[in-house]
Amino acid sequence: MIKIENLKCQIETDEGEKEILKGISLDIPAGEVHAIMGPNGSGKSTLSYVLAGRDEYEVTGGSATLDGVDLLDMEPEERAAAGLFLAFQYPVEIPGVNMSTFLKTSLNAIRKQRGEEELDALGMLKLIKTKCKELGINDDMMKRAVNVGFSGGEKKRNEVLQMAMLEPKFCVLDETDSGLDIDALKVVADGVNAMRSPDRSFLVITHYQRLLDYIKPDVVHVLAGGKIVKTGGPELAKELEDKGYAEFLEAA
Amino acid sequence: MTAQSNIMKFPEKSPYVPCDGDTYTACKLPKSAPDWVKEFRSDAFARFKEQGLPTQKLERFKYTGIAKAVKDFDGVLGESKYTMDGEAAYIAPLSDSFEKDWVQELITQEAPGAAKYGDSALWDLNTAYLSEGVVVDIPAGKHVDKAFVLALETPDDSFTSLRFIIRLGEGASATLVENHSGQGEYWKNHAVQIVLGKNARLNHVINHADSEDATYTMNAHIRLDRDSYYNGFALNIGGGLMRHQMQADLEGTGGHVSFNGLNLLRGMQHSDTTILVDHKAAHCTSNQFYRSLLDEKAHGVFQGKVHVYEGAQKTDGYQLSNAMLLSPDATMDTKPELEIYADDVKCSHGATTGQMDEEPLFYLRSRGLSEKEARLLLIRAFVEEVVEKIESEALRAEFGRDIEQWLQTAL
Repeated sequence: MIKIENLKCQIETDEGEKEILKGISLDIPAGEVHAIMGPNGSGKSTLSYVLAGRDEYEVTGGSATLDGVDLLDMEPEERAAAGLFLAFQYPVEIPGVNMSTFLKTSLNAIRKQRGEEELDALGMLKLIKTKCKELGINDDMMKRAVNVGFSGGEKKRNEVLQMAMLEPKFCVLDETDSGLDIDALKVVADGVNAMRSPDRSFLVITHYQRLLDYIKPDVVHVLAGGKIVKTGGPELAKELEDKGYAEFLEAA
Repeated sequence: MTAQSNIMKFPEKSPYVPCDGDTYTACKLPKSAPDWVKEFRSDAFARFKEQGLPTQKLERFKYTGIAKAVKDFDGVLGESKYTMDGEAAYIAPLSDSFEKDWVQELITQEAPGAAKYGDSALWDLNTAYLSEGVVVDIPAGKHVDKAFVLALETPDDSFTSLRFIIRLGEGASATLVENHSGQGEYWKNHAVQIVLGKNARLNHVINHADSEDATYTMNAHIRLDRDSYYNGFALNIGGGLMRHQMQADLEGTGGHVSFNGLNLLRGMQHSDTTILVDHKAAHCTSNQFYRSLLDEKAHGVFQGKVHVYEGAQKTDGYQLSNAMLLSPDATMDTKPELEIYADDVKCSHGATTGQMDEEPLFYLRSRGLSEKEARLLLIRAFVEEVVEKIESEALRAEFGRDIEQWLQTAL
């Protein structure tokens, strides 16, 4: 499914170029959920942005492919059409664009790119209603501007709603648990779990082990200093929760 | 139902011809007017001569120079084609309305802002030419459902000086639409006087689609009695050099005035909106909300001022200007101001100028929208929030078509 090999990237800062990812390799087969844990500043969010195609990050080496297709060569919208979805840590507010226009434009943009027929207004309405119901989202949200005035929980649920609408092959969840209380976290996790399937894989980025109680990973990686320093099973997350990141900070 | 359609010839001789430098000599004034009009014209002309055209040394003209743009006009009035369609008890050419006492009273008032700023030259110049324009009088209690449409078409190489006078009696309501267009190079120096009686409501929607070589200088003065309501919207999409100067006097309690507008400018276009809201009575509200999209070398100006007089308690005054620059060569100057002499008021102002935010752009692209689609969606949203201020759905749709066309060619 997703194959990342020796991925390196840097960012332009006031003090010159700074390397953030120093050679990351990951292989996530279809149907698996991998978690990346790591301390602040280890490069977790950078990895998600690089995969999604944000242009402040300059890729200086390595590769990332989705089902054998080179992602790094594509525009962000082409990556979305290819089946990549990033659930943002901080979903962006878009004043003046209401949710239903946003969802409709987004889904049809992807369908168009994939050579599929665009969904008409009625079909779209039905789909939105169904997905909202599944995720316990009130229809009223569709009339509001995208993420404007949303609570932390609403913003994250909105990310999951978009994911459910666009039906990607590979989902990156960037600190989806941040700023959520336990009830909101359960709702979001349920939404993600409902989407788990043998032909879809997930990369769950988190600082805390708590999320992984609800979204059970197959593999856990520890990212520190721009490199993956340890890989293991779900028990690794527990170990990190108990011991903290200190040993990895030293190693990096 | 009455409909007026006028194609009017202006007098051949103008009241002034410019000489070398900044001095002006009087010529023949338009004839066939009551004595008070002739007298008031020459007084106004004397005031204009004394001031000359406004220069950028004047506080309210800091960002907009007029003299250079109009130097080639010899002051001979040109032919202006305008029609006014609508339903009212009284709708007539200005020159046929001089005998009305209320018209005389209105015209002979001091120019708006003259005492405070001493920059009434353009208003005085308009008065010096006083003869053409339209007077609309809507009697108390009358609700006019169908919008009045004032269509103005200005020919190449002309100078026009029109005055529009609109009065709504107590409890009356109406919508006034102005459609401006023209060909080639011309200078329109217009004045608008609006008087709203108690509890009257006026929606005033203006489409400035003048020629790109045109200069448009406009002074509007709106007087609001208690509980009256004025809601203005200007789409500034055409014109070369535009100066829109508006003053509202809230004279009775409970009045509301809002000035909304959208600048869609490109090339060398320059549009200056200068607003003064005088809160003279308590419990009044005012809103100024302008959005600007500036491409190429366009220049936008927003100067808004709220002046709260002593005793105008519970005033609620708001000003906001947001400009989005689509090109590195575009500029926006904003100067929101507050002057407050009452202690129990709520006033605020805000201004932003910048390029399109990268964050929402990336967010939308990550959801499958192409860069162009994402930009268009964001720009449309930016624009729609101010277009919503037009109350009539039909007019929103009509303006929406012109706006959409502009947006499509901007990206």
